[in-house]
Amino acid sequence: MIELWDGASMEYDKILENLLGRDDYLVVGHSVVRTDALEKALGRARFTADYIPKGTAVVKVVRSSQPHARIKVDVKAALGVPGVLAVLTAADVPGHNQIGYALPDQPFLNGEKVHYIGDPIALVCAEKEYAAAEAVDAVEVEYDPLPASFTLDAALQPDAEPIHEGGNVAVTTRIRKGDAERGFSAAEVEVEDTYETPYQEHMYLEPEAAYAVPEGAGKVTVVGTMQSPFLVREKVAHVLGWNLSQVRIIQALTGGAFGGKDDMGPLVCAKAALAAVKLGRPAALVFDRDESVAYTPKRFPARIRYRSGADGEGRITAVEVDITVDCGAYANRAPFWLWRMTAHAAGPYEVENASVDGRAVYTNKVFGGSFRGFGDVAIHFAAESQVDRLAEELGMDPVEFRLRNVLRPGSRTTCDQLLDHSVGMEECLRGAAEAAGWKRGRELGRKGSRVRGVGVGCAYHGISTSRSTPDWSAASLILNQDGSFTYRTGICELGQGSPVGHAKIVAEIIGAPLSSIRIEVPDTDSTPNAKPTHGSRGLMLGGTAAADAALKLRQRMISVAAEMLGCPEADVDLREGRAFNRQDPSEEVSFAELAEELYVRGVSPAAYGFYTSPRRFYDPETGLGVNYSVYTFAASVVEVEVDTETGQVDVVKVWPAMDVGRAIDPLMIEGQIHGAVSQGIGFTLMERLVVEDGLVLNPNFKDYVVPSALDTPEVAETIIVEEPYRHSAFGAKGVGEPAIISIVPAIANAIHNATGLRFNTLPITAERLYAALRRRKP
Amino acid sequence: MRITFELNGKRVECEARPNKTLLDLLRADLGLTSVKKGCEQGECGACTVLLDGAPVNSCLVLAPQVEGRAVTTLDGLVDDPLMAALRKAFMEDGAIQCGFCIPGMLLSAYALLRENPRPTEEEVKTAIEGNICRCTGYIKIIEAIMDAAERIQNERP
Repeated sequence: MIELWDGASMEYDKILENLLGRDDYLVVGHSVVRTDALEKALGRARFTADYIPKGTAVVKVVRSSQPHARIKVDVKAALGVPGVLAVLTAADVPGHNQIGYALPDQPFLNGEKVHYIGDPIALVCAEKEYAAAEAVDAVEVEYDPLPASFTLDAALQPDAEPIHEGGNVAVTTRIRKGDAERGFSAAEVEVEDTYETPYQEHMYLEPEAAYAVPEGAGKVTVVGTMQSPFLVREKVAHVLGWNLSQVRIIQALTGGAFGGKDDMGPLVCAKAALAAVKLGRPAALVFDRDESVAYTPKRFPARIRYRSGADGEGRITAVEVDITVDCGAYANRAPFWLWRMTAHAAGPYEVENASVDGRAVYTNKVFGGSFRGFGDVAIHFAAESQVDRLAEELGMDPVEFRLRNVLRPGSRTTCDQLLDHSVGMEECLRGAAEAAGWKRGRELGRKGSRVRGVGVGCAYHGISTSRSTPDWSAASLILNQDGSFTYRTGICELGQGSPVGHAKIVAEIIGAPLSSIRIEVPDTDSTPNAKPTHGSRGLMLGGTAAADAALKLRQRMISVAAEMLGCPEADVDLREGRAFNRQDPSEEVSFAELAEELYVRGVSPAAYGFYTSPRRFYDPETGLGVNYSVYTFAASVVEVEVDTETGQVDVVKVWPAMDVGRAIDPLMIEGQIHGAVSQGIGFTLMERLVVEDGLVLNPNFKDYVVPSALDTPEVAETIIVEEPYRHSAFGAKGVGEPAIISIVPAIANAIHNATGLRFNTLPITAERLYAALRRRKP
Repeated sequence: MRITFELNGKRVECEARPNKTLLDLLRADLGLTSVKKGCEQGECGACTVLLDGAPVNSCLVLAPQVEGRAVTTLDGLVDDPLMAALRKAFMEDGAIQCGFCIPGMLLSAYALLRENPRPTEEEVKTAIEGNICRCTGYIKIIEAIMDAAERIQNERP
């Protein structure tokens, strides 16, 4: 039986269904109290800063005050500040000083040139906070300014100062499918506009932090806030010039991440590690809020020129999309971000003729990076605005127009990928529209100065990393002698609860009470490499590795239990921590007895689970291929109330729907959707990072306003559509990112429905809406 | 300077610089890491504690200001029936995601229900307005506070 478990060819949804033969699952599909909730509710959950003991050396970053300049650094005066232990510059990096994620454009510490205000130049290490702060000011940096570019147009000028070698275009992408011009000639209506989406700051409650302890000769342990312990290990080892085995990374509970800590985890941990190794004593780096907002990566801003056409039947005949992503100072994730935008450019619709071009451009501003939804938030804002406008041009209902175009089983994506199963877009859209009473809802009318409107948004999101990067995951499960289990995964708990989802998958397969499965913290010295917690892959990829481990251990437990019970293996079932004979359930052994027997017989009580995703590929010339192994689909209907006297928009109610493949935990899915609704409201209506000449002017909660409890709309019960994915445990697909994508255009479309005003730039703040309403008045 | 105050029902005497915040005193000197440091600007609410029963941002209070007063953190309310009801509702309703805002959030909710045992939804929203949560969208948190209020009422004779 074991040889069946060989990864990609496995149809995990069916195997598990057949193997378990249960009418209803024990824990899968049912909401549970999260196993990590109690320690969090007691305030005993420990985050990185909670691990740092008194007496730890304080590390602070010396940052560039100029957006673009050649520099000379003199640390002599800083070294003279009492209490200063060391000041480290690029010259002190023992390994590699190049730490770019996708392209080699990002120095770990800048020794010759700075690229944005906040670029790290040196690390000050001191006994106390005050001494460190004083020494940061005492580091002398001589700037020889270079011309700086703050906008895409400036950076793209032929004579613009190159920010990195090779010019200001970091990377390009393209798709050529069918014949776009032929498609436009078949169109009855055509719509064209340029859309712009801004930075978004993650504003996770816990600022970046790392605590590093040197161990013996040539080993360092780093406790940090992160999303990818194994990426952190790679980057720390790279900076130190050490082997991977010399670096131990422990992910402390992480206080919100949303993508940002995938980028910052390695950068912060490597700084603490370098300091600890150089000092030969524990060292910690904790960002303050200003630092966290002003200098760390945010959602990449983008500009999208979008032209699309539809025929008289309401079929989209062609799209032509031109995408420019603003990288800021470093490309970081831009090649992946841009590719995701490119691949999803048409939205969740079948379009035969598509021409898409993309480029990512350097500017001298804080760099962009991972953020929930990746490029799909921006591209869907454009695509879904266009779709609404095409419907309007044709005089069609926007839901009806979408239904004529949505991806269905058997459809091909913009990249010509055949979607043969797990395509629940239509059910999501119909479900959300029906729940919202769509037809009735369109005529809400006005009360005094307040006018209501409803809008719809659809979305799809390829699960896992872009650019067809091979993907796999691993996990381990140990049956302890008392019948309890130790589960290890490198997938991180960031608030989303993926590891709890893994434990539920294990509990279901192995028949163990959820409370008997202890999830250990990710520790690269003992945890299997599960790859990053990003791309909404944590549950789908990591959870399937967990299923693989559980299936292997289950088989051994059943085989030994069959002998203990004196019955055929086929008659053994595992449930509630015991193995029993299905023919006579009174014949049973507890997991403690069974565990003891495994140990005595020398049958391994530990299992290593491994899962590899089906192969993906694409042709860089045409963009065509199999880009993502599966997609999650979502739709939202939103009702807004606009105060035409003030321009203030209240999101009154949201009706969300999502095809999640299979719901492992409905309550946690709702949690993801609610959080995404709030972040989506923030991005669409409120959050505006003010950057002037490269300087972030509002790096705090007071001036960069995120939604509070008072901005909370009513959210209808989530419509969960289940179109299982063949190659994942129970058919589950990722949820976290897809949740935010459809909400953004749905709000913008609702504002249009209410006011007749169409906004192509976000955020739609009260001031902008007020001004637009005034302009329109005769 | 020397300060004396009541912390979670016990008298505490300690040394603190006059410019030390209550947040740093509690976290760094007294080891109460349930009090979280989120912004140090009085904007996020993660460092909320009760000062003579009222919620305050401990990053905006200087240590000497608590001289002779009573400070309560989550650690002092483990066995309190109202806090137990809130904790249970937060856990069961799915109000807890990353957990970083939760100690402050629970304390604001606790202070509200002590003053106003049957708040309206709007009153709940207003009471936790100063506690930012970036994970949950507040919906389950508001629901949990309403649930806790109802349960406590129902349990009373």
